[in-house]
Amino acid sequence: MSAVVAERPVLGRDLRGLLAELLKLEHVTGGLVVAPDGLTIAADLPREIQAEPLSALAATLGRELELRGPQLRRGTFPMAQFASVSGTAFLGSTPVGFIVLLGEPRADWDTIRAALRSAVGAVYRAWAR
Amino acid sequence: MAFARIWHMLGGRRRRPTSAQMFRRAQRLRDEGRFEVAAELIENALLSEPGSVVGHLLAGSLHMTLRDTGLARTSFERVLALEPTQPRALLGLARIAIEEGEPATCRELLSRALARYPDFPEARALLEVARGLAANADATRAPTPSDAIRSDRVRLPAESREALFVRRDATLVFATPRGPRTEAVAASAVKLARIATAMLGRAGFGPLRHAVIEGAAQTTYLRTDDAALLTLAFDSDVKAATAVAHLERVWGSCRSELA
Repeated sequence: MSAVVAERPVLGRDLRGLLAELLKLEHVTGGLVVAPDGLTIAADLPREIQAEPLSALAATLGRELELRGPQLRRGTFPMAQFASVSGTAFLGSTPVGFIVLLGEPRADWDTIRAALRSAVGAVYRAWAR
Repeated sequence: MAFARIWHMLGGRRRRPTSAQMFRRAQRLRDEGRFEVAAELIENALLSEPGSVVGHLLAGSLHMTLRDTGLARTSFERVLALEPTQPRALLGLARIAIEEGEPATCRELLSRALARYPDFPEARALLEVARGLAANADATRAPTPSDAIRSDRVRLPAESREALFVRRDATLVFATPRGPRTEAVAASAVKLARIATAMLGRAGFGPLRHAVIEGAAQTTYLRTDDAALLTLAFDSDVKAATAVAHLERVWGSCRSELA
């Protein structure tokens, strides 16, 4: 009998690779993966944007959404997007932290949301305990 | 021959790893996502070296990753007992304070960290948020008139499960349904908008105007400007375009009523 080792899906474990794939989406200008304690795990951002403060605030926002959303019914939040007139930030929640993507105003929100949803799912499957 | 055997036995006996080795291994395990194993290893290493700042910091970080805020706080406090201005521990405790709705404590912790280490961009970014939240908490709000805006006048959509309209100082204007937690939810929505605006600013964007927050059963749509904030929650099967159209219409009504 051969020993079968149930390996975790590789895609969701390689967070840098996952982020690199997401950054190929049209009109996505940068992104990062941040641990719940605010430490940057991976980042690929335009030169003028500092990773550390953005990570700290993304983790704070992610935790706020995990703990209490802006509604009476509490629950998990797999994904959120925050838009200004000059760009949008997408935030996905996973067991190992948060994935942040930055998009131009003309970015296709539905496409980015679908890709991020898929990435979040891959991380959940890969890091399931 | 006998000497060679004894030498082999001595050489082959495994030495107990040092605490430093255990902490390094724990860090590797953490990076591999084996959080519980890493936490256990750190706990063991700290038994033999209870005064290790690195060990307690790692433990705090792991507890935060596992979303165990109480244990994380204990770890960071132990670090500060050993090294009162340790910046990562001050930042960790400041993050916990902001999570727990204590912006003044957060501000004080971050100010301590920045007084010692002025070049600490994470602390500076969080301090901006904490200052804004603390100012909000300190502000004396005007009492909310019960009929400031009646929700029937803004014609809430039938599909909407929850609606909330609030001034940016967290004064509630109306909420449907309204319950004992409504004021807290209003404050939470304003806090969320403030953190999101700070994050967008750090990303080189302007202030928050729209948000969509997906939940397990409902999706919340948020619209805001410098003066007010509206949220409408819909069941997840309501199309985004429909929800956004409702949001914009209700937002227009709310803003003209408020004016």
